[in-house]
Amino acid sequence: MEKDNRQLIIDLKDENKRDLAFHTLVKEYQERLYWHIRKIVLNHEDADDILQNTFVKAWRSIGNFREESSLYTWLYRIATNESLTFINSNKRKSFVPMNDTSEFLMNNLVSDPYFEGDEIQLKLQEAIVKLPDKQRLVFNMKYFEEMKYEEISEILETSVGALKASYHHAAKKIEEYIKNVE
Amino acid sequence: MDELKNIAPKLSKLKKETPFRTPDNYFDDFSARLQIKLEAEKKVVPKQKSVVLRFLKPAIGLAASFAIIFMLVYWPLKTFMPSEVVETEVTIDNADSEFLNIVEGLDESSFFELLEESNGTDDLTDDDLIAYVDANFTSYEIFENIEN
Repeated sequence: MEKDNRQLIIDLKDENKRDLAFHTLVKEYQERLYWHIRKIVLNHEDADDILQNTFVKAWRSIGNFREESSLYTWLYRIATNESLTFINSNKRKSFVPMNDTSEFLMNNLVSDPYFEGDEIQLKLQEAIVKLPDKQRLVFNMKYFEEMKYEEISEILETSVGALKASYHHAAKKIEEYIKNVE
Repeated sequence: MDELKNIAPKLSKLKKETPFRTPDNYFDDFSARLQIKLEAEKKVVPKQKSVVLRFLKPAIGLAASFAIIFMLVYWPLKTFMPSEVVETEVTIDNADSEFLNIVEGLDESSFFELLEESNGTDDLTDDDLIAYVDANFTSYEIFENIEN
């Protein structure tokens, strides 16, 4: 994978090979990025928009990709930032208090025709939605995507120690919520 | 998962299934839909212009705006304003700077003497003060001063 990616990066920076290389990039990462975005914004239509914006942004800046991180980390970072920007801009539009995205996100979740969870999964999503944005991100990446702390650290540019603390707090809050709701 | 069993036992027992799904063939079609967006993106990319011109453009625009404002405002005022008004403005400006010179030239004891100096007729009533503040300050300025 590492060798393939190196060649892919070379092709992406070559104007003659960029189109085909970018198509390969999209095919390789679209699903992982989609699910990462979807867990943040909860709604399929929004996730679709954000995924497209992520790749458009990547296309625009692929020539400047500095290879300090892997392609995957770089794309993940763009996707995360796009998702958070989307949530924040919708908070402003609907005059929701800056610290409270849960109502906006719950509306997104219950109005989504592509949500098929049972009662327990709905409760779990409710609990996750009540977490602060960064904590929610960390929880999703660790719990659902089962990423290593070191990978998460590279994407979110946060120390491993801080991430562990974030995850523990998030898990405890969710545990409390699930216990109280049953 | 072990760390989760200790801090959140109920959560650790839940199945990690995603409750979300996508429309049929979503990922098959995604690349094609994205391609349409990228084609539009390619058309929007501006042609290469001279780097120098690209940097100078905002500065030229700003200079042009100032020139227009000058032509529309300052020049007519200067040309058509009666000269007495212009002189009065200058006189007032001079009076302000003279006053400042006087105040700055005072030593401390003289300054405080001036402040304490008063006879019955010069004393200001509360109503006088309120009228003065009302006439010379906006509500916002009053609020600002109180806050400071």
